[in-house]
Formats: sequence, C-alpha cells, structure tokens
Amino acid sequence: MFPLLFVLSSALNPNGTLTGSNALFSKIGIDSFWRILSDDKSPYLLWFWNTLKVATVTAVASTLMGALAAYAFSRMRFAGRRFGLITIVVIQMFPQLLGAVAIFLMMSAIGDVFPAFGLNTHTGLIMVYLGGALGVNTYLMYGFFNTVPVEIDEAAKIDGAGHARIFFTIILRLVAPILAVVALLSVITSVSEYLIASVLLIDPENQTLAVGLVKLVSNPRYADWSAFSAGAIMAAIPVVALFLALQRYIVGGITAGAVK
Amino acid sequence: MALSTRSPRRTASRQPALPSTSVRALLLKIVLLAIIDAISIFAAFMLVLQDNWVVAIVVLVVTALVNWVYFSRRLLPAKYLTPGLIFLAVFQVFVLLYTCYVGFTNYGTGHNGTKEQAVSSLLASSLQRVEDSPTYPVTVVDRLGELGLLVTDPETGDAFVGTNDEPLSRVSGATLEGGKAVAAPGWTSLTFQDVIARTDEITSLAVPYSSDPNDGALRTPDGSNAYRYLSTLEFDAQAGTMTNTQTGVVYTDRGTGAFVADDGAELRPGWQITVGFDNFVRAFTEQSIRGPLIYVTIWTFVFAIGSVALCFGLGLLLAITFQNARMRGVKYYRLLLILPYAFPAFLSILVWKGMMNESFGFLNQVIFGGAAIPWLTDPTLAKASALLVNVWLGFPYMFLICTGALQAIPDELTEAATMDGAKGWQVFRQIKLPLLLSTTAPVLIASFAFNFNNFNLVYLLNNGGPRDTTTSLPVGHTDLLISMVYKVAFTGQNRDYGLASAFSIIIFLIVAIIAVVSFSRTKALEEIQR
Amino acid sequence: MKVTKKGALSLGAIAVASAFVLSGCQASSDDGGDKQASGSLTVWVDAERVDALQGAADAYTEKTGVEVDLVAKDNATIKDDFIQQVPTGEGPDIVMGAHDWLGELTTNGVVAPLELGDSAGDYLDVAIQAATYDGTVYMLPYAVENIAVLRNADLVPEAATSFDDMIAKGTAAGLAQPFVVEQGAEGNPYHLYPFQTAFGAPVFGTDDSGSYDAGDLQLGSEGGYEFAAWLASQGKTGTGVFNTDIDGAIAKQAFLDGTAAFWLTGPWNVGAAVDAGINVAIDPIPSPTAEAAQPFAGVKGFFLSAESKNKVAATDFLVNYLGSEDVQLELFQAGNILPALSAAADTAASDPIIAGFQAVGGDAVPMPAIPAMGSVWQYWGVSEAAIINGEDPKATWDKLVADVSAAIG
Repeated sequence: MFPLLFVLSSALNPNGTLTGSNALFSKIGIDSFWRILSDDKSPYLLWFWNTLKVATVTAVASTLMGALAAYAFSRMRFAGRRFGLITIVVIQMFPQLLGAVAIFLMMSAIGDVFPAFGLNTHTGLIMVYLGGALGVNTYLMYGFFNTVPVEIDEAAKIDGAGHARIFFTIILRLVAPILAVVALLSVITSVSEYLIASVLLIDPENQTLAVGLVKLVSNPRYADWSAFSAGAIMAAIPVVALFLALQRYIVGGITAGAVK
Repeated sequence: MALSTRSPRRTASRQPALPSTSVRALLLKIVLLAIIDAISIFAAFMLVLQDNWVVAIVVLVVTALVNWVYFSRRLLPAKYLTPGLIFLAVFQVFVLLYTCYVGFTNYGTGHNGTKEQAVSSLLASSLQRVEDSPTYPVTVVDRLGELGLLVTDPETGDAFVGTNDEPLSRVSGATLEGGKAVAAPGWTSLTFQDVIARTDEITSLAVPYSSDPNDGALRTPDGSNAYRYLSTLEFDAQAGTMTNTQTGVVYTDRGTGAFVADDGAELRPGWQITVGFDNFVRAFTEQSIRGPLIYVTIWTFVFAIGSVALCFGLGLLLAITFQNARMRGVKYYRLLLILPYAFPAFLSILVWKGMMNESFGFLNQVIFGGAAIPWLTDPTLAKASALLVNVWLGFPYMFLICTGALQAIPDELTEAATMDGAKGWQVFRQIKLPLLLSTTAPVLIASFAFNFNNFNLVYLLNNGGPRDTTTSLPVGHTDLLISMVYKVAFTGQNRDYGLASAFSIIIFLIVAIIAVVSFSRTKALEEIQR
Repeated sequence: MKVTKKGALSLGAIAVASAFVLSGCQASSDDGGDKQASGSLTVWVDAERVDALQGAADAYTEKTGVEVDLVAKDNATIKDDFIQQVPTGEGPDIVMGAHDWLGELTTNGVVAPLELGDSAGDYLDVAIQAATYDGTVYMLPYAVENIAVLRNADLVPEAATSFDDMIAKGTAAGLAQPFVVEQGAEGNPYHLYPFQTAFGAPVFGTDDSGSYDAGDLQLGSEGGYEFAAWLASQGKTGTGVFNTDIDGAIAKQAFLDGTAAFWLTGPWNVGAAVDAGINVAIDPIPSPTAEAAQPFAGVKGFFLSAESKNKVAATDFLVNYLGSEDVQLELFQAGNILPALSAAADTAASDPIIAGFQAVGGDAVPMPAIPAMGSVWQYWGVSEAAIINGEDPKATWDKLVADVSAAIG
C-alpha cells in the first residue's frame, strides 16, 4: 500500500515532488485538487467525462462481443473452432512496437472517408479498443460458460426458445459474475490506456484522463507531480465506485442459486 | 453429465420462436444490418472516388458476407463470432500485417518517407543563399493565372518583374508604397489571403535573377520578402540522379533507398524501400547481442513465468481467503486490494523506483532503518525488485479473475467432497485447483505473453539496469528480450524500425509456439477432469 | 441456401432502410467538412507553453485570417510523433523543439529550411549557431537554456570561488551535503559536463567553421582522464559529493528543505525554489580547475515541417510573429528562460535570476546536434555513474571511449 500513500501525500502537498522526501504528509492541503480542477488549459472535468464515455461504451460493447464469441466457442462445434480459439489469443501476443504507428495510419485513412470515425474522435478510439476486446475476455468467459450445465439450454430449447433467446435471457444471467469481472477489467484498461489514446486524440477537449494527466508530468523539468497525483486519485473514483457496485455480482454466487 | 456439455449441436433453432419477439428481433436485425450496409456502401463509394478500388471491393465483400451470415439459417457460430472478429481483423491483424511489412523494409532514421518526399527535401535543403545578397521586398503578382514576383531593388528602389520562365526585367509605371513596389500595370497584385491560398505555386516559384543561371533565382518564403538562392543539387528525373553542381559528384539511385555516389557517400534523407529478408538476416547474424543473449533469454523466461506464478498464487490465495472470510468490512478490504490496479501503472512504477533508492528511498530509510540495500543497483536484487514491483502491479488482476472463477465452482462439489471425508487442503488441491486452472489457464498463458514483452516495467523502473559493463551493448541485467532488441535497433538517434520489426516477429514466433504448445497441454488437462 | 419469402422480404427491408440511413449520412457529412478554405496552421507545442503562445496565435488570426491551432503535445513523444507523422501528411505545420534534434530531423527529411532573412542578426549568436545545421538555418529560436548554480543566499551569503571553496563554505554552514546535482542510476552527463570542460575535455572538437566534427572525438583526451580521476575522488569512495542516488526529485527536495545550499540546475527549477520562500542567488558554476566550467547551452525553437501545405503562412507566422520581441518576452515569462532574440534578452535580463543565467551562459557551448552525439549519450552517463560508484576511472573511461568510437563507426 505504501506507493499509494506516496501518491496521496504528494497530492496533498501543493509544491511537492513525488519521491523526493520520505516525510509523508508533511504538508496537507487541497490546493492541487483546486489547481487541476480550475486550470483552463487542462479541462479536467471534460477529460473525466470523455474517459467515462469511452470506458462505458467500450466495456459494454466488449463484454457483449466477448460473451457472444465465448458462447459460440463453448456451445457450438464447428470447423476451425480450436484453431480460432488459439488464433485469437495468439494474435494478442504480438509485440505492439509499431501498434501506435499502424493504428494511426489506419485511423487517418478511415478518417478520410468517415471523419466521424477517424482521428481525434471517441468513436474511433472505442473501435480500436474493441479490436483488442476479443482475446483474453473470450477466454475468461469461455471457461466460465463451460461450467454452466448444458441441460439448462436443452430445457429452454424444449420450451421453444431460439438460440438468441437462450443466450440473451438465460445464459447471460447465469454468467453475471464473469460479465462483471470482464466489464470491470475493461473499464480499468480503457481508463488507464495511454499510448493509443495519445496518438489518436489530438485536441485537448477530446482527450481522456490518461492522456491529459500525463502531459502534466511529461516534461521532467516542469512536472507537476502534485497535480498529477491529485488527478490520478480522482480518476480512480469511478473505478472504485464501479467495483463497489459490481462486487455483489462478482462474489455473490448468483450462478449457484440459479442452477438449482 | 459433464460429457454432454461438449456434445456437438448442429441443430440450431429448428423450433420456431415465439411470434411477437421474433418480429421484434427481426426488425432490430434489419435496422442494425441496414446501418452497417449503409455505412459500408458509403465507404465503398468514397473509396471509389479516391480510386481505391481494392479496398472498396474488400469492404463490399465483407459487407455481403456479414449479410449472408445473418440471413443464412446455418452458420450459427458465425453469427456470434462476426462482430468480434471484424474488429479483431481490422485493428489487431492490421497491426500485425503492418509490422510484418515494415520488417521487410528499411523504414527507420534516414528512410522515413517516399522517394518524392526525399527528393523535394534534398532540393529544399540544397538551396544556398547567394553570399552577401540583400533581402528583396516583393509583391506576388498574377497575369492570367501565371504567377510572378514584383521585386524592388533595395538599393536603387527600382521595380522589376519576373516569372518562373522569364528572368527579372525592369517595369515602368509601378505603384510604390513606402519605397516598395506593390502593383504594376498588366499584373494583379495578390492579397495575403490569395498568397496563402496559392501556397503551393508560390513555394515552387523561382524567378531567375538574370539570364545567367549562376546568379541564382529569387524565392519568397513568406510572400513579402525574397532572397537570392543558388541550388547546390540538381535532380535529373529521367536518369534518377542527383548532381552536386559545385563538386560535380553524381549521386545515383541504386535501389538501396538513397542516392549514392561512386565513392559510397550517401545523401540523407533517403526513402523507404522493401529490402526482402535483409532485416531477418541481420537479426540472426547480429554479433553484438551474442554475449548477453543467453542470460537475457533466461531472465526473460524467469521474469515471465515468475510474474505469472506469483501474481496468480497471491491473487488466488487472497481470493480464497476473502471468499471464506466472515469478517466485517470484507467489501472494503477487497477494494483496497484492487486499488493498485486502478492507478496508472507508470505512476506506481515511478513511486516504487523512488522508494527503492539506495540512500534515500523509503524502503531503506524508513522500513529497514537506514540500511543500504541496493534494491535496484545490484544485478540479482534488481531482478527480484523488478519481479516484486510487477507482482504488486499484477496481483489485483489475478485476484479479480480468481474471485470470479471461484464462483463457477458449485458449492455442491466441495460439500460432497467434504462429506466424503476430504480435508480442506485436499478439497482445494484435488477439486478446486484443477477446475480453477482449467478456467484460468488461457488467462495465465496470455499473461505470460504479456510479461514476456513487458517493456514498460523494465524501461520505467530501471531502464534494464544495472548496466552490464562487460559488453559493448547498452544492455542491463534486468533487460528482457524485447527491451534488448530495441536497444539494438534504436541506437543513439538511429531508429531502425525495419530491424526492430524483424526482431518483434522472431520474438512473436517464439512466444506463439510456446503458447500453442501450452494450449495443447491445457486441452489434456481439461479432458482429465471431465 | 433457399430463398424464403421471409428472406426476400427482409432483404427488401434492408435495402430501404439502408437507403434511408445513407441519405442521412450524406446530409450530415456535408456540413462537417470544408473548413480549410482560408488556410490554417497546426502548431505542436509543449503543454506548458500553450498559454504563452495563445496571444500571438490569436493576434495572427485576427490580422491575416489564418487559423492557428495550438496543440499541446506530450513532451516525451513529440519528436518521434513528428518524425513518424510528417511523411503521412497528417503531421503539423510547425513543431516546437530543441536544437539538438536537428541532426535527426534533417536526416529524416522532415524539416524545411527557414529563411530568417535580415532578422538573423537580431538573435543571440549562440541561438543562430544552434539553429544552423550543415550551413542552413532550420529553426526559429525562442529561448536559450543553460544550467547554473542556485545558491541559498540565507545559508551561504557569498558566491563560491571554486569547487572546493563551495564545499568548504557549505560545510562551514553546517550542512552534510552542501551541494546537490541531479544524477541517477544511469548518471547525468548533461549536469556533469561543466566539470568535464573545466578539465579541457569537450565531447567533440570543432572544425574551421565552428561546427562539431564527429571524426574528432575529444572525450579520450588527457583532460578526459583527469576529469574521470577527479570524479572518482568526489564519488562514493572519495568525498561523496556526487551520489548517483540523488535524482532530480531528491536534489530538489534537499534544496527546498535547506539541507543543501548549492544546487546545479536550470532555470526551470527556479520557480519552485522561489515559491518555497528561498532567497535564491544564481552563481557561475564553481570550477574544480583554473579553467572555466562551461555548461551546454540548449536552444529551444520552432521547426517548419517539410510536408506543410501552408509554408508561406507558416514562415510568415514564425519569422515575423514569433520572432517579435513581445512574443519572445511572453514566452520568457511563461518559462523563466532567456529569450533568443537579443532585444528581448536584454529586457529579460533586468530580472536578476535571468541575468545570472545569462552570465553563466556566456561560457556555454551549444550541445552538439550531430547524429554521432546520440551514440555518446548512450554510454556516457553510465560510465560516469560507474566511476562515481567506485569503478576504476581509467579503465571505465577507456571503455567509454572505445564503445563510443565503435558506435560512431
């Protein structure tokens, strides 16, 4: 926990360095919080809103896409299934050295046709994030779907439900814990994602928290660690709130009850 | 029972669904597909306008496929997979293909753009101001669409006019404003807005000073002042050569992505070309990495396996502890555990770096009471520190996943086992752990791959240090394979993206093979417990 | 597959709906585009300079109708992003940067020459020297930066006359570590360079025109070895004046807390010290020898993209607007740095802090911009750190010289 105490201490000391001193909490004040909230050139609240927007849409869409794919892999048998499963995760292991460059080229090309999806748009950023959504998420959910007894599907089918109906109304409820975990992980990933967002989002009013905040400290000579820490603490609030809200799904044991 | 989970089912939905929902679902499907179709038709249309036929056809074919998938009565799996696969293909696979492509080019410092860009950049840089020539106040003027410069001689105040083809000649009757000619009969003066609108023409406007080319030509970089330049390079588009007009040296394009003189001297910038397998050959024959290669590879595996094992172990331990804990406020303890994951990793890494400072860090000064433990400067301890920090960053992820996965294990199983007289540890080892591993194994493999390439941690914590002083590469004791090859490809100011891509592809192949092999083992694992 | 009635029906529905959506798209995309008519300039700047430039940008727009779009960029990635994006045509028209990027920028062909015209004479010599690469000017300079010694005048009222005098004065004031300078596990040669030059060992020699000559590596001169020996004597096994555990944050905190009286750093840290209520004086860098300790001068400026579609307006904006005294003074106020324009520099020097840095800057030498310098940075700091930490100075310096020579090739 100590690193986080450092962050808190630095946020509360308006003129502080991050690690220059071990005298934690030697000065306490909320100047840094004010500074970052009231500074014109760093529209913190706007960044906050952008981040929420991007993270929410990404989380919902990627959880849904992952669940769809996991359902197919778990319940259906088709040619190339095993190959597909392995390929999806192996692709994600590719070193992303040129990732930012490639995605920049791609998005600028898309932007030439559809300005609304191109560079400097949240839609574009979300689409890029969704590109990475299938891999690990699918796997996580795939394992979980396998634990849901297939008798449930069969019973529903006998009742006359189609595959889509089974999936949306029955299965999804049963796997709520893993959906919650995946959604939470997805939110955390897109809140803290920096590299791609920094390349794609150009105007300050479009940027996300990660991009905006890093600018405060990117030049070591003028780094404002105190404001940065304050900003990072506030940025963690939605994640914390979401975790508290989802916790009961994550640990609630809903599956066990429903199977009976 | 367990076996039936895996029974094949090709019979998708033979039973008709309930009518009311079916109509609604159909409508929704139509609307969604209509939006997609509209977008792609528009895209294809625009692409055709840009003469980009290949991409346009790809877009249309993919759209047709999507429609077919959702209208076909078969292809059920595809209906579930298509959305994810499209995004995967567009963004991930593109990155992969692009990197592969770059691996076969000479993209890097000095080979950054196209040949045209290189040529124009060379020509622009080769302009040299004629010595002791003055600044000429100018007005850009137009005659029937042809641009010219209306020049005022700064010494005599006389007005001259000239174009790309006609050298300067004296004009009479020019309007003067503050000693500067601003208009001439037969010519229309451009306003500043006009000048900006016709930037391209003006940047290529060079008015010969006289009929002798050695006097140079006037160019105006800002539209209001002109300077006399001589070009030291001449480009012959036909022969594809650059000639230095002062020394007479001819630089030729010999397919190496640059203009090269006979003595081997290269003009920079060059341009991007494909170089076949050159980068891969270089990657395999690179001498400088031979020395550190073995220990860096070993450390990379130790780091990746160690990180995964420790993160998973710690995450699992905590998940189980909290699952059974009946204490108050367990909700908030859980929250504390995921907090490290909610803060930007680079911030945490920098804090750790500060805390591990030998003479001033929090660990030594406060926790160890002034000891001088070289956390980051001793080769062995630095490795342990890197692992420690990485585990601190990674265990919340595993904690979350294990917590979720534990829910998937029906309580009945544990209860039944307990009734059969199994002890807590046995229940865990023989029932929970195998089940957990089968759900989380893919995540563990993916996490291994991530840590195998965990460039950020190594770079931010210690930049791979402490530096190994026995080699001539700037490689350190905590460098991973990926950070080492970057140091080879990006030496000093020289960025060789081609070589780096080739290295990335080789590393990817290594990790991919390990992953595929592990997956076959996972399969075996699954079969045993089912 | 069999085409059913339902299938045909829905296909028809899709066609209709598509047409509908399509027409919607068309309509909405019309009012989106076409903003480029009067021309606009995109300028990438360091995040902390946006405010200082906003005034000049607005004034320029008002006068000429050319939009100036200032984009705050992450200082750490601005150069690489620029090099990567210029060839794609998506890059900015103008980028803010440092003169030592020039080697890399010109090798990649991403910058266009900039004609300063007669105004070239209005800039400080060191600024023009730094803006010139291979005989061509590529940069509009706006600031000159160099390091100097910040002294806590309440602790030590008088400037030190030599390096040993500085330590003695600080120790007399009762301080255990009177002098701090930013180092790190990989050293920090930029901050140690003044001491190295005091021993007569620059990195490169210069040719007749005053440009650095990559073929003339001076690191390995006799002075280099004397410097290495001196560094060892002040390191871990010696007096302990230099310590690689002192990084930027620790050095700053020590000076702000008053546990160090001398801090070798740049103008960028003066603000924090003044805010902390310290009576700051700027002193020349005390030399360990009889020679002057010359720091590196870094010149900040603006580059013009080789692929800019708006070179005329960009040149006009740079040379005639950003080169004006008012704008240079405004930039100075934002960052406490010495303006590159002589007239603005003189005005700024009425500030004793700036005057102090300017005086030290008189001894400064431009940081080499030649590509070979990249190879030097790679090995230099680590070798110095090793010497500070007690490695044999002679052998370590030998290896440094050998590695650098090999890398330059």
